[in-house]
Amino acid sequence: MTPEKFRTLVSTVLIVGVGVSAALIGAGFVAALAIGWQGSLIGAAHATGSSTADFGGLTGRLAALEPAAIAQLGLVTLLATPVARVAASVVGFVLERDRLYAAITLAVLLILLTSIFVLR
Amino acid sequence: MTPQADLGIFAISVAAGLIGALAGVGGGILVIPALTFGFGVDIHLAAGASIVSVIATSSGAAAAYVRDRMTDMRVGMFLELATTTGAVCGALLAAVVAPAFLYVLLGVVLLGSAGMQVSRMGEESPPTNQPSPLAARLRLESSYPDRRLGREIAYSARRIPLGFALMWIAGLVSGLLGIGSGVLKVLAMDGAMRLPMKVSSATSNFMIGVTAAASAGIYLGRGDVDPQIAAPVALGVLTGALIGARLLHRVSNRSVRLVFLPVLVAVGLETIGRGLGLGL
Repeated sequence: MTPEKFRTLVSTVLIVGVGVSAALIGAGFVAALAIGWQGSLIGAAHATGSSTADFGGLTGRLAALEPAAIAQLGLVTLLATPVARVAASVVGFVLERDRLYAAITLAVLLILLTSIFVLR
Repeated sequence: MTPQADLGIFAISVAAGLIGALAGVGGGILVIPALTFGFGVDIHLAAGASIVSVIATSSGAAAAYVRDRMTDMRVGMFLELATTTGAVCGALLAAVVAPAFLYVLLGVVLLGSAGMQVSRMGEESPPTNQPSPLAARLRLESSYPDRRLGREIAYSARRIPLGFALMWIAGLVSGLLGIGSGVLKVLAMDGAMRLPMKVSSATSNFMIGVTAAASAGIYLGRGDVDPQIAAPVALGVLTGALIGARLLHRVSNRSVRLVFLPVLVAVGLETIGRGLGLGL
């Protein structure tokens, strides 16, 4: 893999991550202006007591097309973008046959995943 | 939030994204006080929105910086080894260490380094020097296209162990105090490793998203990321960061320093204020 293609790969991962999350957050935001954060675009009844900052019951609220849930999915996509970027960098360095940096980047990815899923 | 408040938060966030993209920082220094003082947002929700802001600045700006060869990906990945390890240590230590003294210490260091920034104000490229064997072995030498100067500027990292140690501290501090991770990264690359200012800023931008992502799960789990606040912040910051990323290669290194310096001083003062319990 040429350095040029490597940069394109990493840059594309970032653009896609940012683009998808901006579209979801924007859609949720516009829908919220129309029907409120906890409304439902398909007219489903709102589960009382849930907060818009609660990520636990996200799938159910997504199924109801709740504006807050659409924006939350966008926020999760945004927060996952740097992780995807590091993962793409591992692939890039491997394809560049740069063993040292493939190892360094893989170590960063493992530390990152550990801190996200273990330390909380 | 009323639509007027949404618009206000959006506008502040555009400014935060713009400044963050140029200075290589996350913009939390602008977003958090604006949300809490300006819009009466709860401090935890403001901190959650700030994490979103850091990642939005980083990902939005870095997409352009990586493509334009402003970000040095090897420098970034090598130093992320230090920042992520430091951040994990910071998160583990946070339960044990009383951070008041650390806040004051960090603030004094930041204000002290403002003097160094002033003294380098006119410097458009770092002094060329004998490349260190370590920089060659780690491939921490490259060049970037400076459109302002109209030529390719070559550079080679100096004092790599010091830079790596400072980056570990930057990670530690962000894990422990949740502040200042961007300014410390720029200072480590520009101040210690003597990388060009624009490369330091663009590479810091590339890195801060990863540091923030490491703790994003904690904020999500605690319920601190509320789309009612975080959505207008994310949309505003992304807009600002995309504008800022188009500007960086056109402006001079001096201009980047002129944006970075007030951010550095503000973070320094804010940090000392927190340490002294002034509740800033």
